[in-house]
Amino acid sequence: MNEVFSMWKKTKMVVLVALCAGLYAALLIPFKGFVLIPGVTEFRPANALPVVMGLLFGPAGAWGAAIGNLIGDFFGSLGIGSLFGFVGNFMFAYVPYKLWINLGLVSKQDKEPDLKSKRKIAAYVVVAILGSVACALVIAWGLEVLKLVPFAALASIISLNNSLPSVVLGIPVLLVLYPRIKKWDLLWTDIMDEEDIPVAGGMSRIGGFFMTTSILGGMIGGLMAALGAGQAFLYKGFAAGGDVGSLGVLLVAGIGSVGLVLSSFIQSMPGKK
Amino acid sequence: MDMFLYIDKETPVHRLDPRTKLLLMFLSFVLALSFRSFVILSSVLVAVLLYGAAGSALSNLRRIRVVLMMIASFSVVIWSVATPSDSRFLLFSLEGLLYGVMVAIKTDLMIISGMIFLSTTKIEEIAGGLVKLKLPYRGAFAFSTAIRLVPMIVATSYTIIQAQKSRGLDLDSGSMLQRIRKYVPLVIPTLVSVIRGTNVFSMALESKGFGYSDVRTTLLELRMKRTDWLTLGVALLVVAAAFFFNMDSVAYGACLFSVRSGS
Repeated sequence: MNEVFSMWKKTKMVVLVALCAGLYAALLIPFKGFVLIPGVTEFRPANALPVVMGLLFGPAGAWGAAIGNLIGDFFGSLGIGSLFGFVGNFMFAYVPYKLWINLGLVSKQDKEPDLKSKRKIAAYVVVAILGSVACALVIAWGLEVLKLVPFAALASIISLNNSLPSVVLGIPVLLVLYPRIKKWDLLWTDIMDEEDIPVAGGMSRIGGFFMTTSILGGMIGGLMAALGAGQAFLYKGFAAGGDVGSLGVLLVAGIGSVGLVLSSFIQSMPGKK
Repeated sequence: MDMFLYIDKETPVHRLDPRTKLLLMFLSFVLALSFRSFVILSSVLVAVLLYGAAGSALSNLRRIRVVLMMIASFSVVIWSVATPSDSRFLLFSLEGLLYGVMVAIKTDLMIISGMIFLSTTKIEEIAGGLVKLKLPYRGAFAFSTAIRLVPMIVATSYTIIQAQKSRGLDLDSGSMLQRIRKYVPLVIPTLVSVIRGTNVFSMALESKGFGYSDVRTTLLELRMKRTDWLTLGVALLVVAAAFFFNMDSVAYGACLFSVRSGS
């Protein structure tokens, strides 16, 4: 999590935040009319971008996704839910690049997100889905707290709406962008100082495991609690009704969301002299 | 397409400090979320619309009228079908209908309030206000730059689309899915052309002293004036009154439609 704040001292990273946010917002706004849940979410091909931005630009991609989503909300869905949308979309880009390093999905000697091997493509799919679910967990939990939208319906819709574009569209986008970003020295690991970049290590592994458990536990546990409270998945969730704001969902999904944030602080940093 | 939401006029609302307007927007969210009473929610909606009229910002609502209507329709239809009830006409129940109307008012109220804020506050003022609220300057800078970049990026993508169309790309025929697939290859040139400018942009910023010092002077001087404090005082009184009257449920019991008691 240190790099999320230390990146602001680098002008290139600040510029990348602005560019990522502008790109994400520019691709979100034209699709604001393709509503899935009015005032909450819509069909979003732009969801291909956060995972790609996170892997290429690290914390700048995460901040860019968060700010870009907020700007997109200005065009039709700005409300108190935008706060959770900000955090959720931050996690959408943050979780992939953290787990790319921390979970040991790719070789320590070759961590570049170039997707040049099947292992890396499989790793991309895994981190993209985990990032999508993390985003869905935070937003659905937030709107359940506010008693606005049932958790089960919203979490399942957002998980699908995030995962599909990020996997289907994100892979070709990353394949094309990576060589150019590398050539222009714009990878976040090339811009930031070495002492600010987390490394793979024991603590990082623990953090990665804790993060994955929080995401999956919060989501699966939250869904089970929601189904127990009479909710249902996808649009059936609205027909089923159910108890919105039930304590079980708030606790389980809330613990998952808090665990997701806390796990970001567990990482290995390069040794400081 | 005109992407800018700001309406350049001289009104009392435009002259308010951006921090005041931000807080007013936030208070409207609090009111929208805290109550189920039609009387209170409708009163807040009317107050927000009057505030918007005072800022000559209601014309911008035309741009989001489709979204507002879809929210209202979706809410009313879904909740009137989904809400458990013993008496129904066809698929719809009265309790569900009323609940759906309440949710529609809540959601539309927040969106209208947000739109009025954006219509009466310049991007520089939003960024300046955020800095005054102790957000780091670099964060506010990235935010305001991103907003300014959105129309430029849309224009770039439009140019790319026109270039591809002139080379025979047909974006108008085919099913929705086929048309979306045709747009996918156009995303990459847009991304590349935007990100390519990062190094030059950074050099331009640093050549102008960006980041040289943490202490910055600014062209836009923001100061809370008497009208700001008065407006905030009135808003807080309204919020307090809303909470006070809502507690007096005997007086408003006849007007309260509580579909899901205790939730």
